Amino acid sequence: MRYVKLPKEKVCEFLERLKSMGTLYGPKKISEKFYDFREIGDVKEVEFEYNRTITPPRKYFFPERETVFTFDTVNVEIHETMPEGKPIILFGVHACDIVGLRIMDSRFIDDLPDPYYQIRRENGIIIGLSCLPDEYCFCSVRRTDFVDAGFDLFLHLLPDGYLVRVGTVTGHKLIENSPEYFEEISSEDKDNFAKFETKRRSMFTVQGNWDDMRYRLELHLDHPMYMRESDKCLGCGNCTLTCPTCRCYEVKDLPTLDGTGGERIRFWDSCQFRSHGLVAGGHNFRPTKKDRFLNRYQCKNAYCETTTTSYCVGCGRCTYFCPADIQFKENLLEVYGTGGGA
Amino acid sequence: MERSKMILPDHEIIEECRDVCRATVGVYVLTSCYGCQLVMATVQKIMEIANLVDFKCFYMVSSKSSMHEPVDIAFVEGSVSTEKDLEELKEVRKNAKVLVAIGACAVNGGVQSWSEGDLNYDELYASVYGDSKIKYKGLQAAPIDSYVKVDYFLPGCPPEEDEIMYFLSTFLFGSYPEEIDYPVCAECRLEGNPCILIESDAPCLGPITVAGCKARCPSFGVPCIGCRGPVPHDNSWFDSLALIFRNKGYSKDYIRERMKIFCSFDKNLEERLEKVFGRKK
Repeated sequence: MRYVKLPKEKVCEFLERLKSMGTLYGPKKISEKFYDFREIGDVKEVEFEYNRTITPPRKYFFPERETVFTFDTVNVEIHETMPEGKPIILFGVHACDIVGLRIMDSRFIDDLPDPYYQIRRENGIIIGLSCLPDEYCFCSVRRTDFVDAGFDLFLHLLPDGYLVRVGTVTGHKLIENSPEYFEEISSEDKDNFAKFETKRRSMFTVQGNWDDMRYRLELHLDHPMYMRESDKCLGCGNCTLTCPTCRCYEVKDLPTLDGTGGERIRFWDSCQFRSHGLVAGGHNFRPTKKDRFLNRYQCKNAYCETTTTSYCVGCGRCTYFCPADIQFKENLLEVYGTGGGA
Repeated sequence: MERSKMILPDHEIIEECRDVCRATVGVYVLTSCYGCQLVMATVQKIMEIANLVDFKCFYMVSSKSSMHEPVDIAFVEGSVSTEKDLEELKEVRKNAKVLVAIGACAVNGGVQSWSEGDLNYDELYASVYGDSKIKYKGLQAAPIDSYVKVDYFLPGCPPEEDEIMYFLSTFLFGSYPEEIDYPVCAECRLEGNPCILIESDAPCLGPITVAGCKARCPSFGVPCIGCRGPVPHDNSWFDSLALIFRNKGYSKDYIRERMKIFCSFDKNLEERLEKVFGRKK
């Protein structure tokens, strides 16, 4: 792996360079407390120190709503509406979210490629950014706190700039083609990188490893936590809509008035909605709020072969953006039983 | 493939079909502000609609309307608030193949049903009219499904244009509109808004109100007032939201009043509030 340094005074210029290559998206402050990935007009708006965005980066590859095809009932034809394949540069992605995107890949590309997702993803450049955890973060116990794949460049904060890890050939070319922004790293930079990582690791409120969490949960499906906590739940779906790895979608046909055609759209669904478990004949395999609540806890703790992690990457969004203040991490620990991981 | 490669439909086929199978549509009003009709009459594609269907009744569009003809699709706006409303509603139901309740009043009773469960008809009458007489025999304002079978519900105050178009086009297609059973809160996330309930403790009813408006008010920083009514199928969690509001310092009366504006006819409202606040005095 190659390492270079991006000095602080070159960061804006580097962002301008990225912006010239396609549409640049990055973290922005959108309100008093919240951040979100947004298109970057002025590179000075990019927020380098943020905890989490309200919407996950998957939205750039798997949009909230898209038309998958239009149909023509007169000629009985369908016309797929493929993405244009414009370059998408996503800047400032934290490690947990990068694993989140790899998990998305495992479902949308590895098994049976979804062309809509794949085209966008193949035209995407991912620039990672280091972060310090708050009390909602638990990527450490999910083994998603440090990434060795899934990014083109990864920027680690130094006192006077960033130590840049190069992850792909694309990332390598980005540096090769813009040598004016980068320097060789010094031994001081290496020390500072190590110091940052040590400091970062000490800040997590949970330590250890949760690889066995899914077994603990499976053994205690009747744990009283589920009833107590699901009672507080609004069923609003914020936990899944803000999640970087939730990927359930709903499909709907919108015919034209004259009936000669229409479009088929797909849009984000949530397992917290009643209709998610509704099947033909009016049967529902998750009829109650508790059933739906429990499903998310199991699904998020299931195992993803590609990343060898759980589907939950420990970003803390489902708790931070829960209007009912339901504490996912604490609830999992309660079922786990030890209060502190293995 | 590009859209331009689509071949335009043969208009003769359409014309032929129009003579044979032009759907008949009626738009009716009980007690309400006529806002739903106004939205329906001013949708961008109203001319296209007018060419495709035969409006038997639509007072906002034509004075040649008649309430007494059979129709394929009936849209009914307004709550049942008088005996006359009730008679008309029953006749519309008898004449219609498909009946759609449109707007907050028809779907949930509207603001005029705010005091449901608190004041009876005589008390309400006295507080508004005193000893005066009115020409109609009044009834306690109620959603239309209190009296007749309703096939589909199109909520909103007023309803959204894209939903009106979706309902009409699915009916004309020989299909039906899919019901929404999740809250405004979810749409608010999809719109990319920050959450005003979390961030500024706003009394937002987005979590209990049925989606479809693309979080119109919260997108402008205005807390949802619930005009679209409760999430259907008992999935409007008044208790969970009341608990959140209580923890933010709102009083029981404030919470109940606010939730009742558009949800007074939800059978779960009082029971779920009792779960949080205890039994009503």
